[in-house]
Amino acid sequence: MKQIFYYFERDMRKWTRSRINVVSSLVTPAAWLVLVGLTLPTTTENYLEFLTPSILVMTMLFSSLQGGALMIFDKVLGFLNKFLAMPSPRESILLGKILFISTRGLLQATVILLIAALLGVRIHSPLNIVLVYLTLFLFGVLFSAIATTLALYISDHDGYAAVNSMISMPLFFASNALMPYDMMPEWLRMLAMVNPLSHTIDCIRELFAGGLPVEGMVGLAVAAGIMVCVGTVQFRRTGV
Amino acid sequence: MIEINGLTKNFNSLCAVDNIYLGITNEIFGLLGPNGAGKSTTVMMLTTLLKPSSGSARVCGYDVVKDAKKVRQSISYVPQDMAVDIKLTGRENVMLYAKLYGVPDRNTRVDDVLELLGLTERSGDLVRTYSGGMRRRLELAQALVHEPKVLFLDEPTLGLDVAARKKIWEHISALRKRGMTIFMTTHYMEEADEYCDRVAIIDKGRIVVVDSPKNLKLSLGEGASLNDVFLENVKTDEDQAGFDAFKFRTMLRRRS
Repeated sequence: MKQIFYYFERDMRKWTRSRINVVSSLVTPAAWLVLVGLTLPTTTENYLEFLTPSILVMTMLFSSLQGGALMIFDKVLGFLNKFLAMPSPRESILLGKILFISTRGLLQATVILLIAALLGVRIHSPLNIVLVYLTLFLFGVLFSAIATTLALYISDHDGYAAVNSMISMPLFFASNALMPYDMMPEWLRMLAMVNPLSHTIDCIRELFAGGLPVEGMVGLAVAAGIMVCVGTVQFRRTGV
Repeated sequence: MIEINGLTKNFNSLCAVDNIYLGITNEIFGLLGPNGAGKSTTVMMLTTLLKPSSGSARVCGYDVVKDAKKVRQSISYVPQDMAVDIKLTGRENVMLYAKLYGVPDRNTRVDDVLELLGLTERSGDLVRTYSGGMRRRLELAQALVHEPKVLFLDEPTLGLDVAARKKIWEHISALRKRGMTIFMTTHYMEEADEYCDRVAIIDKGRIVVVDSPKNLKLSLGEGASLNDVFLENVKTDEDQAGFDAFKFRTMLRRRS
């Protein structure tokens, strides 16, 4: 499906041409890492090492959910109708978007990893670095599929921004991103345990520590696969 | 090239297109009508973007529902929104379409259509710097890159200045001479009069008349314009509400 790549290329070019977008998406996660990681009263021995995986996953989450806005704009500005009237497989529009949003998230993650490395965070095996990327990519696919599917149903940008913050904020704070499970109040721990964000953060932390969270990664891959299928079916249905 | 048989589209209780029949051969065919008459809905059904509620339509011999993909291969659709990527160059915009359509030897083909629409000189500039007329021509270039048999244009000259409109029409006429069928909607009666081979007037989802602009004008008598034909055939909301402009004016006069 070459068309997926063509749609990906279009979004990538547009993104890299707007410097302010690139700069802001790279600075924001770095600011989180430095300002939160180095200043918050430490709850664990090495808070920065504890926090880096959270910031990585948070960045993927926010950037994936924000990515849904790309679909809204394509729809509202009339691009989607032009693309849908073309013979290329319709779902390649959706898959191209998911690929772009996830790749953009990985570029942001790279900046965070570099800064974290400068601040002394280390991942010891090169294989684990690759697996960190893979895990983040699967998580990005999961949430960009959710975001783009939601965007098909919401027709204006304001509405989407509202839905976006309604999902992203609670999801982030009801997870183990900022504190370990054993320091949470009981009710929050229950929520955090079922939160997909916590699962992904757990995976990344284990990878940082040199472990191999096979179960967590397979679970994430299955969830991402299911969401992509759901998105594709919905896209075909609303398309015509 | 296009056969429409009892095409109907309902949105819940609203009937946007009501049982229309049309046959379009190799020509420039204009669909005229007031806002909300069902023009765009008709075009969207013919371009496979909307499923008809009932009835059927064939474009280039292919059914718009059953052979949607074949229809999409033979047509191009330019909606009224002017959707071109302003952060890409003119050439990149056309190249995207050439790639998506899988056009063979695409570099040459892209250069050709840019040349055809007089955009070669500015093709390396970002579309952000293009005027409205140039953006519209760029959309035509995108639409022509895979050499479609039928071109659907929704309000192609909307919001353009006189010179840009004239230029777009010259391009459309040139395409017609090269054997392309053009199905378009417009609000501008003078343009339809001058350039369309045949026009249909649609009102509240129903086709009221179909004929050449010349015959339609003749039917109203000497000196009638297409505008007169339009007003004769289309019931405005004011007419429907029993609004009488003459009575209204005399009433106002009496008051003052």
